[in-house]
Amino acid sequence: MTDTPLISLVDVTKTYHLESGDFTALDHVSLDIMDNDFIAIMGPSGSGKSTMMNQLGILDVPTTGTLSIDGRNVATLSKLERTHLRRDAIGYIFQKFYLIPLLSAYENVEYPLILKYKKRDTTGRAAAMLDAVGIGEDMGAHRPNQLSGGQQQRVAIARALVNDPKILLCDEPTGNLDRKTGFQIMDILCSLHMEGKTVILVTHDPKIAEYAHRTIRLEDGRIAESS
Amino acid sequence: MMGDIFFDLSVRSVRLNFLRSILASIGIVIGVVAISTMGMLGTNMQLQVKDQLSSSANTIVITADAIRMGPPGFSSSSSSTESGITKAQLSKIRSVVGTNGTVIPIYSSNTEFTSGNVPARGMIYGMDPSDVTEFLKVGNGTNIASINEALAGYTLAESLGIKVGDKIKISSASSGPPSNSSSASRATVKIVGIIDARGTVADSVSSDNGIVVSKEWYTAQYGGKDHYTQVNVIVDDTDKITAIEEAIDAKINTDEKTPAVRISDASSQLDTISSTLETLTMFILAIGGISLLVAAVSIFNVMMMSVNERVQEIGILLSIGTESREVRKMFVYEALILGILGAGIGGAMSLVIGYSVVSAMMGTTKFFFLPDSLIYIPEGMLIGMVVCVISGLYPAWHASNMDPIDALRSE
Repeated sequence: MTDTPLISLVDVTKTYHLESGDFTALDHVSLDIMDNDFIAIMGPSGSGKSTMMNQLGILDVPTTGTLSIDGRNVATLSKLERTHLRRDAIGYIFQKFYLIPLLSAYENVEYPLILKYKKRDTTGRAAAMLDAVGIGEDMGAHRPNQLSGGQQQRVAIARALVNDPKILLCDEPTGNLDRKTGFQIMDILCSLHMEGKTVILVTHDPKIAEYAHRTIRLEDGRIAESS
Repeated sequence: MMGDIFFDLSVRSVRLNFLRSILASIGIVIGVVAISTMGMLGTNMQLQVKDQLSSSANTIVITADAIRMGPPGFSSSSSSTESGITKAQLSKIRSVVGTNGTVIPIYSSNTEFTSGNVPARGMIYGMDPSDVTEFLKVGNGTNIASINEALAGYTLAESLGIKVGDKIKISSASSGPPSNSSSASRATVKIVGIIDARGTVADSVSSDNGIVVSKEWYTAQYGGKDHYTQVNVIVDDTDKITAIEEAIDAKINTDEKTPAVRISDASSQLDTISSTLETLTMFILAIGGISLLVAAVSIFNVMMMSVNERVQEIGILLSIGTESREVRKMFVYEALILGILGAGIGGAMSLVIGYSVVSAMMGTTKFFFLPDSLIYIPEGMLIGMVVCVISGLYPAWHASNMDPIDALRSE
């Protein structure tokens, strides 16, 4: 582990221009996230958690301030470069799983590999990732709507990991799961952290936040507490 | 394309909304059928005319510049010496042609025939019986052997029910005052043969709807001896047509400002007719094109529906690292699949419908399977597919430019 942060936010502000006036969702936020950190981001609704995740996932760019990921200032990257950085460095896990409905579980996991290598997976990596999250070959042939919530989230985790990203962004990953399945998913995330991944987790649930080594509390777009 | 995950996604999307996709493709089917069928019909008409004209492609037609119409009843003592091709001009033509072809002087006029009590109008041609078989084929009966014998054209014989051995009356004053139409001005000829149908020909002898008599009978009835309406030259070698035309022109049309004769051949007539038919074909193709325009709107509508139904899916694709051009490609593939579907069905139907239409409209499918005709099917299919892809471009662009955050939020 080096002293250079994997993710660095320096005085980041995100303002949305609405008909009712400007709305500042992130207000001069500065934060360093080191390689192999496990961070939980908490806060009430409207505190800026989703905006923060969109910034960290390079789905959006700051209005002012600097966001650097893996040493690259995202504001200076083209749209295509941001897409490639998102594809290669970040694995996104969503509360609603967001699997591609027209693809099977296996194809969902294979999809990021196809994006990166522009060809179908012949290495067996997609199948191995599914196996690692407890989805067998038979289940892999099923479409997402034929799987349970827990199974869908496992497939989503396999999809997020298949390109071996440094960063895992987890937006309420247990929000749509029963408690038992939620903890199983958290166990998988913990083991991924143990393997060296940087895990950033947004949650409302203090029990889930306890898995993280560091908790950041957002209020009104500012960091109110960091512990 | 096959094996491409984006193509697979497009195929699955079409399958998921199969009925809607088929309905949208019906517009393309109709467009392809319209374009192909109309194109094939126009081309078959052109090919038929070319084929008919090519049978007289070796013929030069020479007419007097001030054409003597030679109405029946025209007195031989009138101004006949001032019109038609004269004996002296005919001699010059013969000397130019020499052994390179056959020179056929022809008298002709428009007249009225009566077979039984049924009257009809048509052309009457007077020529040397030995020249008749140079370019006309007597399919039923024999050639003219004596002065009161005549040959009837195929269409005229059909319409009047004329048979070999029948006698018909020929008026000698078609456009004269009523008193000229008395029985005294009608001569009778015996039909000894029926001339085979020729269709459209370029030698200015429309025998199908006419009567051929001997030149002696013609001049006895209408006068104008040695003042021919036209002289046809059947050239042995078509490569020499231009040279012979130029030589005749040089010998007879000595005064450039007022040429004595007009010289033409099949190629100039073919150009005129082809040009007219091409214009007609383009016009009916444009009508077919309107149906494709309607189809384009339908495809555009279906593609926009597909994009709007899959906004969240587009958001997922973009958020996990799919490039904009890859999203664009996926929707263009979908439009292309609709195009292939419509063009495929349309192409197959064009073959059947085109064949039926050409057969019904023209009475023959002799030219239908020629490449010039069939090419309209792949052309129509290609145009159908291109129209589909163009219709899908904006929806594809719209999808690829969505904000992934907004797209993910949509339900």
